Amino acid sequence: MNLRIPLAFLPENKQATVVEVVGGRGLVRRLYELGFTPRTKVRVVSSSSPGPVLVDIRGARVALGRGVTMKIIVNPE
Amino acid sequence: MSEKIKELLGEEAEVLLAEKRYEVISRILPKVLKGKKPLTRSDLLDKAFLNKYLGIPVFLALWWALFRFTFDVSAPLSDLIDMVFGRLGEIASISIQNEQLASFVADGLIGGLGSVLVFIPPIFFLFFGLAILEDSGYLARAAFVVDRVMYKLGLHGKSFIPMLLGFGCNIPGIMATRTIDKEEDRILTILVNPLMSCSARLPVYVFIGGAVLGGYAAAGVYSMYILGIVLAVLMALLFRRIIPYFKGKPSAFILELPMYAMPTLRSTLAHMWERGVLFLKKAGTIILLATVVIWALSAYPWGAVHSGDEPLIEASYVGFLGHAIEPIFRPLGFDWRATVALFFGFVAKEIVVDTFGVLGLGGAEELQQVFNPVTGLAFMAFTLIYIPCLATIGVIYRETNSWKWTIFTVVYGVVLAYFVAFLIVGIGGMLGY
Amino acid sequence: MIKVALIGNPNVGKSLIFNNLTGGKAHVGNWPGKTVEKKVGKCVYKGVEIEIVDLPGTYSLTANSIDELIARDYIVKEKPDVVVDIVDASNLERNLYLTLQLLELEANVVIALNKFDVAEDLGYEINVSELSKLLGVPVVPTVATTQGGMEKLKETVARAAKEKSRRRIIEISYGKKIDELIAKIERILQKDENLTKIYPARWLAIKVLEADDEVLKIIEKSPCVQEIVNLLPEM
Repeated sequence: MNLRIPLAFLPENKQATVVEVVGGRGLVRRLYELGFTPRTKVRVVSSSSPGPVLVDIRGARVALGRGVTMKIIVNPE
Repeated sequence: MSEKIKELLGEEAEVLLAEKRYEVISRILPKVLKGKKPLTRSDLLDKAFLNKYLGIPVFLALWWALFRFTFDVSAPLSDLIDMVFGRLGEIASISIQNEQLASFVADGLIGGLGSVLVFIPPIFFLFFGLAILEDSGYLARAAFVVDRVMYKLGLHGKSFIPMLLGFGCNIPGIMATRTIDKEEDRILTILVNPLMSCSARLPVYVFIGGAVLGGYAAAGVYSMYILGIVLAVLMALLFRRIIPYFKGKPSAFILELPMYAMPTLRSTLAHMWERGVLFLKKAGTIILLATVVIWALSAYPWGAVHSGDEPLIEASYVGFLGHAIEPIFRPLGFDWRATVALFFGFVAKEIVVDTFGVLGLGGAEELQQVFNPVTGLAFMAFTLIYIPCLATIGVIYRETNSWKWTIFTVVYGVVLAYFVAFLIVGIGGMLGY
Repeated sequence: MIKVALIGNPNVGKSLIFNNLTGGKAHVGNWPGKTVEKKVGKCVYKGVEIEIVDLPGTYSLTANSIDELIARDYIVKEKPDVVVDIVDASNLERNLYLTLQLLELEANVVIALNKFDVAEDLGYEINVSELSKLLGVPVVPTVATTQGGMEKLKETVARAAKEKSRRRIIEISYGKKIDELIAKIERILQKDENLTKIYPARWLAIKVLEADDEVLKIIEKSPCVQEIVNLLPEM
């Protein structure tokens, strides 16, 4: 099934695949550099929504602010 | 032309190659890497440190521990250095025949050197503790934990560490802003950092507050810290709104959290040394120079100052300066001696207390002649807000690489200090003091 | 004297390696006109003096942050004899992103595969020689915290510096379509000697495709820019 939801809504420990990043060029670029490209697997480690969210991506652990997690669209598994 | 090209390439351009690079990496990786990352100790630690409820208390506890460690352990060493240099100064003034040279060496050089070196224990211990927090990986978590609150205040999550450090000493606080990527966020944090009441100001609060606030002394001292925080928040919000350079929201919070690691003694010492030496070089030279200048201003005209048994500061250039500026400060209830003390406090806030002593206001009774509870509080607030010490100014210049921002910090500090002190005196007046 | 630049992602242990190599003695200042710290140190290996510049830690080499611009300007303009790319072995995938960009810049790269011990503890097995073969650059496993691999690193850097002019420039393929585009733009840019004197043509081409602000500004003044503009709509 091809769902599209913001990363912000993903519960803890859930794995998903990045669909796209919506936002200004600067933000999109920064996220792509860190590996948030389409079809990349991402897993939510800790979520204190509406606070920041912690994810595992490409073997690294990245903390993302709320605004950012709303702009990363993912397809949960 | 650039615009045309960008237009032709479309929005995808920037990220197309990013994707391709990762595709290449995805092809290389399986050929060179085997194994998967297991659940690690890092993960478990993070469950605790980043927990919604535990996160902040753990953070506050660690910081409190850092400061206690730093200042309790370093205090005896600082006192020792103080004593040693005091002795050296005495020896110098006795052994050197020429009166002026003796004074220059004893009070100017040795005094100046002493006031720099006295910084060494707390600064180095602070940097040591900081290096441990940083190398262990914890510091990144701390930024994460406080980001939500900071964003609402117009500051970046990564601003919190520098602010918290500022409570110990503004210098490491300002140096810590290096972790903030966006220049605007970084400079904003630097600008409000001096409002974090550094440990050098505490003796001033205790000295004045203890003398004139009576039972409310402790409350008065605490209120200074709170005042500092409130003002920092207000200034941050104000600057963001008013100064075009800062317009816009803080940049998005994206931070990679390194794995937790046991810091090695070697790397911790290396970090401590690197930062400590940097501080000494910059701040040290400035304090030394300024102390010599101030010595000169307070010792000359030689004849007038040294006519009696004790040096008469009132007759020196500084005294003259104090009297000259006094009218500006009279509405705040500060007399020329308080003005002189503030002037010396420009070099280092610790000197304020010493100056009062030298001017004959060493004890509670004498202070009560000069300050009443309201003007005393106003003076404490003024000390909190006006210019950060010379060493801090030096570091601000170094970190912003801009005279503009450095001067701005000095100016807004003095203006804000005056305003707040005036407000205090005004409100106090209305309440009948 | 050999000029060496250190670069790498944040948190890879770059400053520790810098310390290991320079013995903790460094001249610290600012990059000219910037607020970013510049550290320069020295070390001696078998009689050869090596100057080591610590570039800002960065994830990428775009034109979008001061740190990145400083790093890439240094590599392009100062043309260091060797660029040591410090890669976190426990975080290999993401770290290689910067490595690829260094290869695009045609820098003389030596990879210091740091935190090798951590990677092993995590259960990772890294085929160092295969990695070296695929990327076309020497790879030295290091453990900065115990000074592990430092001598080998110095030796490899010294050798790489000596062989700089003889080395094979690796062209990483980004897929047939993109490669063709890059090649077309590269051919046009090669006509302008003023550009290719300073910048690698293929790198410029890649950056043009990425709409890199700085590179676009650079080629604006070039006579071949019109040809590029004409080429683009076909893509």
